Amino acid sequence: MLKPAKDKLLASIFTNSPGLVNLWAKKVAIVTNTSTPWATAAEDILRGPIALVTTAGVHLIGQPPFDMDDPEGDASFREIPSSAPAAALTITHNYYDHRDADEDINVVLPIERLQDLEAEGFIGKIARRHFSFMGHILGSRLERLVGETAPAVAAEMRKDGIRAALLTPG
Amino acid sequence: MGLIQRAIEEAEIPTISISLNRTVTEKVKPPRAVLVGYPLGHPMGRPFDKKTQTSLLKEGLTLLRDIRVPGTLVDASDRYHF
Repeated sequence: MLKPAKDKLLASIFTNSPGLVNLWAKKVAIVTNTSTPWATAAEDILRGPIALVTTAGVHLIGQPPFDMDDPEGDASFREIPSSAPAAALTITHNYYDHRDADEDINVVLPIERLQDLEAEGFIGKIARRHFSFMGHILGSRLERLVGETAPAVAAEMRKDGIRAALLTPG
Repeated sequence: MGLIQRAIEEAEIPTISISLNRTVTEKVKPPRAVLVGYPLGHPMGRPFDKKTQTSLLKEGLTLLRDIRVPGTLVDASDRYHF
């Protein structure tokens, strides 16, 4: 079977079988950490700017898609302008079933819901840009993610003066 | 996702993630996470369910502000599931 078709079939099976996902999570070599980093949140943190970060493979239609041919995945990231309309976004990611997210991007990246919270005054300011990765990154690509691209995004967020970030998986 | 979250937190930006799997999250140990009961590909629930998406986003951001214990995983899967 061709790799994309096989990946999509597996993604559909995993999406519809939480038990299988649990079994997978217990067996595979997920990075196991014994401690966690910590930045204390200020009481007025909701004033923002607040950024979203996703690993659901979201990108602007005009941006290069994530590389689905490399079995180790793609550790690069895309900047998503926070003002981007949902219709300008698409998903390249064969390792989960994103048919529902294709219908409504807010299922994986709540970009419009965050705009709603700003409009109603629940939060202050939204970041000028959000960031997107694809999940399912392995081996040397994982090393690049941890050593290079994830810290690069963190540095960009510092430049933007981001005070809080919410992350969503695919 | 948790590894990216940790990198952002290390840059002194407070973070929270939506988790779809307790086992993965407990291994990666992000600083703050809220566990939902949705299947893969649906961290914010059903398409066009604005009410639930908004509620979960508000809850996540409020927890981000209020959690004071590093590594806290809040289980909201009884309220956020299909």
